[in-house]
Order: sequence, then structure tokens, then C-alpha cells
Amino acid sequence: MKTTVAFIFGCRSVEHEVSIISAVQAMRSINREKYDIVPVYVTKNGEMYWSEKMFEIEPFRDMKTLLADAEPVTLLKSGKDVVLKFLNNKMFAKKKDIVINVAFPVVHGTNCEDGTLQGYLEFLGLPYVGCDVLSSSVGMDKAVFKYVMKAAELPVLDCICFYAREYAKKSDEIIEKAEKEIGYPMIVKPVNLGSSVGISKASNKAALLDAIDLAVSFSDKVLIEHAVSAIREINCSVVGDADACEASVCEEPFMNDEILSYEDKYMSNSKSSGSKGMASLSRKIPADISEEKSEEIRNLAKAVFKALGAAGVVRIDFIIDTDTDKVYVNEINTIPGSLSFYLWEATNLPYSELLDRLISLAFRRSRNRDNLTFTIDTNILSGVSFGSKGAKGSKL
Amino acid sequence: MILSAIAMIIAIISGLLGLVRQYQMLQQNSYFASRYFGWLKGNLSAFVLVLRGFAMALAILAASFGENILKESLTLFAAVALYFGWKSASLNASSIKKLVWTARIKRMFAFSLVLLLLLGVLGLVVGGTIGSVLLTVLILLTIFPETLCVLSLTALKPVEKSYASYYISDAKKILSSSRDIKVIGITGSFGKTSTKYILSRILSEKYNVLHTPESFNTPMGVVRTIRESLRADTEIFVCEMGAKNVGDIKEICDIVHPDHALITSVGAQHLETFKTVENVFKTKFELYDAVKAKDGLVFANGDNKIISDNADKTVILYSTDNKTKYYAENINASRHGATFDIVLDKTKISVTTKLLGRHNVLNIVGAAALAFNLGVEPDDIAFAISRLNPTEHRLEMKGSVKGSLLIDDAYNANPEGCLEAVNVLNSFSGMKKVIITPGLVELGEKEFECNKDLGRAAALVCDKIIFVGKKRSEPLVQGAQETNFSPDDMYIASSFMEAMEIYSTFADENTVVLLENDLPDNYLK
Repeated sequence: MKTTVAFIFGCRSVEHEVSIISAVQAMRSINREKYDIVPVYVTKNGEMYWSEKMFEIEPFRDMKTLLADAEPVTLLKSGKDVVLKFLNNKMFAKKKDIVINVAFPVVHGTNCEDGTLQGYLEFLGLPYVGCDVLSSSVGMDKAVFKYVMKAAELPVLDCICFYAREYAKKSDEIIEKAEKEIGYPMIVKPVNLGSSVGISKASNKAALLDAIDLAVSFSDKVLIEHAVSAIREINCSVVGDADACEASVCEEPFMNDEILSYEDKYMSNSKSSGSKGMASLSRKIPADISEEKSEEIRNLAKAVFKALGAAGVVRIDFIIDTDTDKVYVNEINTIPGSLSFYLWEATNLPYSELLDRLISLAFRRSRNRDNLTFTIDTNILSGVSFGSKGAKGSKL
Repeated sequence: MILSAIAMIIAIISGLLGLVRQYQMLQQNSYFASRYFGWLKGNLSAFVLVLRGFAMALAILAASFGENILKESLTLFAAVALYFGWKSASLNASSIKKLVWTARIKRMFAFSLVLLLLLGVLGLVVGGTIGSVLLTVLILLTIFPETLCVLSLTALKPVEKSYASYYISDAKKILSSSRDIKVIGITGSFGKTSTKYILSRILSEKYNVLHTPESFNTPMGVVRTIRESLRADTEIFVCEMGAKNVGDIKEICDIVHPDHALITSVGAQHLETFKTVENVFKTKFELYDAVKAKDGLVFANGDNKIISDNADKTVILYSTDNKTKYYAENINASRHGATFDIVLDKTKISVTTKLLGRHNVLNIVGAAALAFNLGVEPDDIAFAISRLNPTEHRLEMKGSVKGSLLIDDAYNANPEGCLEAVNVLNSFSGMKKVIITPGLVELGEKEFECNKDLGRAAALVCDKIIFVGKKRSEPLVQGAQETNFSPDDMYIASSFMEAMEIYSTFADENTVVLLENDLPDNYLK
């Protein structure tokens, strides 16, 4: 008997393609002796498909052919199980529902990584890998994430935050506030996108206006923070859950631009070596920082993980202001590109073992939830009646 | 001919209706003909038997001599058959535990239907003496569906046997294809079900655990659990094993091949089939033989004299005194629950649990000992124990008036259990102790003595006593008076409502009240 794992990837997100790369990497690395793999590809329209060809990158290059061949599917609760149901069942080639034991979301960005997919799985009652609804959604909103970090007394850069409509009405006021409270150079970010999409730096008012324009085209909510001029970016991955977690070695990604752009993250090197996702980005592992700094960052990473109530594998990005040597928590990726496997391989945890660990963490969370009491076996409804007759007896 | 045919159809319908009730009872007697007969013995009245016999005689007469002679008798027969059939079926429909239409019942029902139709059609078509004999059999089977029930049970035995052996080999296949799964067998004359739940909860701190649900402790119950619920990610299967005869445990072990064992007790249970306690011991230790064949660990209750006297050295004993390697000590209770230390060989953990009573302490120690040996961290064991929940109205702790603590033991109605509950009350050291009880009922001639014992025990432990019911409480009062209990601290209430009113006059935050043997809901509102 093998555990059946549904890898869910793609989705209505700007990081759709990256998600395909991350998922294929994971499906190719998982121990097939132990797990049966069920790929569930979600199109940019949000439709779910299954196909035997989805274990490789190649077929995804010709999406039309792939989908013409693939089976439309959905996940649904059937008895005590959650099954993958084939929607276009031909009369003579009937495909049997596949019982899914655990879901493995490998999705990036809004409409999936932000708690929406997690909520769907939670609602189905299917154990799933990674962060739960709350930590996923807080992790996706860069502003709310900062508030939570501040409450947990973890170091973050100050920011101002506003809505697109608010900006349309009183842009002068907001610009003025940004200049006064933050000061140039500034970084403008849409609050809820990963992978650096829509983020830009502004050193003067004209650039700031452009930067905000760009950001509001991606999100209704925008955040402005001070751009640290002497900056090093250091990333660190954490695996575990609220009860026990550990941090990987640190990495330092190299920047072509002043900040890490989408092209840097996923597209550099892509011509020479094919799409390898985050793993192929030019980076230094372990990061060239002192032992103490590395330890400080790893401890901070675990503290962030705990404060958020995260689970599974995440990557936390830090900024070091090299003038002051101060470390700031920049953001969290609740489902990091390539699942940060390259950081764990550098920490002596092979990818297949990392995947093993993530799946057992999923079961552990589901056990812990089952051990809590969700339903209380008294039937309150039996004593309730509505309407005029006997209204006295119907008080709750 | 037409009248006969109609009568036959009515007879078949009545027979099948009657059969529903018989199958219901057969099913509830686990398909054992002998137990089913036992039920029949107590539930068939002579009058009904005579009436049905009379109807049968009339019908046989008609079948033998032709319908023209005895038209009325056929009609009468059909009416009687239909009446009883209808009545039986409605008995099933109105009972709490109705017939479950399992595959087996459906097979037996189909067999009966075909048999009756065959008898009817052949009987009418063939005619003559053979026809009469066939119709007579049909009449017998329909007016006495009990016979049809036993017939279909017996006839399908070989079929069921092959189904069962298919299910068993399928379950074995599932288990052997789950590479790393560990099977833990739990058995015992009492305590095995609670221990199963406790052990599963503790193990779930580290493993994906499957346990047999409720009372699925027969070979087929175990097989069903494996076939329906075992999954690839299951790491430990906790299997409760029940026994009523020598060899029962071995039969389950041959299916699941347990890796480790927990034997909670050996006592005088099911002696009607076991005959002697030695046989009970032998049967429970069939689990030991199976586990030792795999070099596994066997844990057993060292407080149980039969076990500690007879088990060999390879059995790891656990107990509530420090003579064994695993034991509980410093047992106490506070308003947060029972607190005690568990010594796990050289490791010691302090635990708090809402499960009260020495039997629960013992079950917890046994489960903790086994879980510890399977690598569950001591801290996690303590956490899981702190999360255990009691069964409703079984030494269940609740808040009560004026911030006092209530121990609801309303469902407890056996004498030893009540005395143990008083012991539990005694373990709440430093708190003011109160009991509210009407005493025990329905114990026959032992009742007076048992209530006297309860009264005496309560008086030795409690600061205040409230007995319920003037007449009821006489033996309780007598028992209490034997200890020179101050009459000022003893109250007699006429109802629970009144008892609670009395109680609330002296209850405070440092008071614990034991409510023994009655439902508290009525006055807690």
C-alpha cells in the first residue's frame, strides 16, 4: 500500500509557470516506492485537470495539446474519503475515483498560496502540506505580516499602507505622508504578490508616482517602506510546525538590478540550462556572513515561523542594513519557489527526505486537529421551535 | 386452485415479513443459532404457538384434501399468518436497534424468497401427494418463520464461510503490504476498551494510529476495520481482542500477527463459556504467545494477582506500586483532576488527567509504558494524558454551585464501582468532601448490605452527607451511624432538587461533591 499524494499546482496566479516548475521538480524527487502521485493541474481559469503526462515539464510547453488530452477533475468528499473525481467519464472507459490521502499544494501567489486553496482543503477535511489558512493569508499580505511581526517584537522596516481608491482620491496627501514619514529612496510594493512582481524603487517624486501606478495595477492595497541603501539580502528556510522547527543554512541571492526582480528570480540562466526555478538563480550558499550573523538570522527565522504559526517549509527573506549591521525581516514565502530544497540539500537533508518530512507534518497536523473536540454531542436543535406556539420554551 | 394460489402468496408475504424480525434477532445474537434459540425461549408464548399451530393444521388439511373441502380454513390460515407476519415486522420497525440489511442478510433473505416461491409453484403445479408435502413444508416455514430463519442460516453457512475466508485473506494481504506498520494487541477481562482509547491518543502524538472502533473486537470486526479503514499512512494499528472461548484470541492473532501486546486484566468474566479462570488466563495469554513469536514486548497489569502470580519474567509488568518497572506513585486529586507521577523505568513524568479512579491510573500507566517503548517523548505522553476526556457521567468533573467541584458518577450502579468512587472522593486531599446519593437499586437480596457498605464508606470519607429519599436511605443511614458520623452533618432530602438546595447552603470553592448513581441534569439546570 502506498500513500496517495495529490500535487496541486498552477492556479490563477501571476506565478503560474513557476508553480509548474516547482511542482514537477517535487514530483520527480519524491520517493515513488512510498507514494502514489496524482498531479492536479489548475489552469489560469481555475479548472482542474489530471493527466499522466504531467510529471514532466515538456508537455506543459504545448498547453493546448496537453489539456486536450487531459481529464477534467475535481476534489470532493465521498463518504469518509476525499476523492479525485473524473468529470468527463466516457461510458466505456470509465475512470475510477482516486482516493486522496494527502494534498500537496505547490502553488505561488494570490488565489492559491494566500490561504484560498488551504481553505478549500480544510473544508474538504483533507490533510495537506504546508501552512494553514491563517498563516498563509497573513504571510501573503505584506502589510498585515509586518503588523504581526511588530506585535511579536520582531524587527521590520516601518511602512505606510493605503488602498488604491484612497490613493485616487487624495494622492497628494499620501505622497506627502510618504515623503515625511519614510523618505527617499523608497520601495513600493503591492501587498499581496510574491516573487517581486510589481515592486519598484523610487528615489524621487516622479519615480514614486510611477512606482505607485505600477503597484496599484497589481493590487488594491499598496505598501511603501524605506529602501535601505546599503543592503544585503539574506534568505533562510524553516521546516517544522509550531511545536518544533529548524532553520536551514542561509543564502544570499545576487541581484542584477537594485532589487531582486521577477526576471532575476525565475528567468536568469533560463536559456542555458532550461527552467530550473529558484534553484538556478545565481546565489551563494551558504551566504558569506559571519557565524554569529548566520545564527542570529536562523534564530530570527524560527521566531518568525512560530509567531506566524506556520507549518511545512517556508522561506523567510531578511535584509541586512550594512551601515548599521541591523537585520530586518522582509517577507515570508509560505510556499517558496522550488520548496527551498536547494537550501535543505545544503543543510544535509536530501530533497526526497524533505518531501517525506513535509507529508508526515501534514498528517501530524491533521491528527492534532482530530484530537480536539469539534462537535459536542448534545442536540440543541431538539429543544428549539419557532413560531408563535410554544415560543416560551424555545429560548436558547 | 386460485384460492390456493392466493393463500400461498399471502403465506409467502407473511413468512417474509415474519422473517425480518427473526433476522433482526439473529443478527443481534451475532448469527449464533444457540444464542438465537436462547432469545426464542424467553420470547415465545405458548398461546401464540398453539394459535399458529392450529392455523397450520387447518392449512395442511386444505393442502391435503383439496381446497373445496375447507375453504374457510385456508382463509383463516392466511389471516393468522398475515397477522403474525405483520406484527413481527412492525416489532422490528419500532425497535431501537433495527435489522441492518447487510450483504449477508440480503443473501439469506433472497435464499428464503426463492425457496418459498419454488415450494409454492411446484406444490401447486405438481399436485398429488408430493404437491401436498411441498405445500405443507411451505406452510410450516411461513407460519413459523423461526424455522425458515434457522434453515436459511444453516443452508448458507458454507457460502458465508467462503466469504469470511476471502475477507480474512484480503485483510491479511492489506496488512502484509503495509510494510512498516506495527500492530498492538490489547486484551483483558476488563479495561481493554478504555486502555485502547488512551493508548491510541498517546501514540497519536507521534504516529498515524488506527484502532478498532467501539466494540469491534471479534475476528470479523478486526477484519472489517482493516479492510475499511487501514491506509498506507497508518503506522500503528491498535487492535482490541475480545474472547468468550479458549482459542478466540489466537484466531485474531493469526490474522493480525501483533508486534506488541497489552494485557489489562484477567478476571472471572464469561465463565459460562470459559468454565475456569485458568482458561481465561490461558486465552488472554494466547496474545503473549503470538507476540513472543515476533520478539515483541508484552505489557501486563501487575496489580492483577492472577497475572502477577502466573506471568513469566519476560512479561513487563506495570502497576500502582513500585514493585514493577513501570508504575504510578503520588496519586492525588485536585480540582484540575487526578495528578500522579509515572515512573517509566528510569524516566519519571508528572501528569494531570481528567480521568479519575485507580483503574484509570492503571490503564494510563500501561498505555504510557508501551508508548514510551515505541519512542513517544515523555513530554508528549504527559500532554496527551492531560487531553484525555472521561465518558459522560462516569466520574466526570464539572463545575457546580458557588464555584464548587462536582464529580458526576451518575451512571455508576455497581457496588464495587461506588466504593471506588468514594475512594476517588477521598483522594481530593485538602478539600471539603460531600456525597449526594440515593444508594443502589435493583440488587435483590444483596441490596441492603451493599447500601450499608456504601453509607459506611461515605461516612469515613465525607465531611457532609446528603442521602436522597427517606425510605431509600435507611440502610445508608445505618451504615453511616456505625462510624459515629455526626448526625448534624447528615441530611436526608426528598429529591435531588432539595439535595442541591441543602448542598448550596454550605458549598464553597473548596468543596467537592460526589454525585453517585443518578442523573444530575434535571436539577443542574
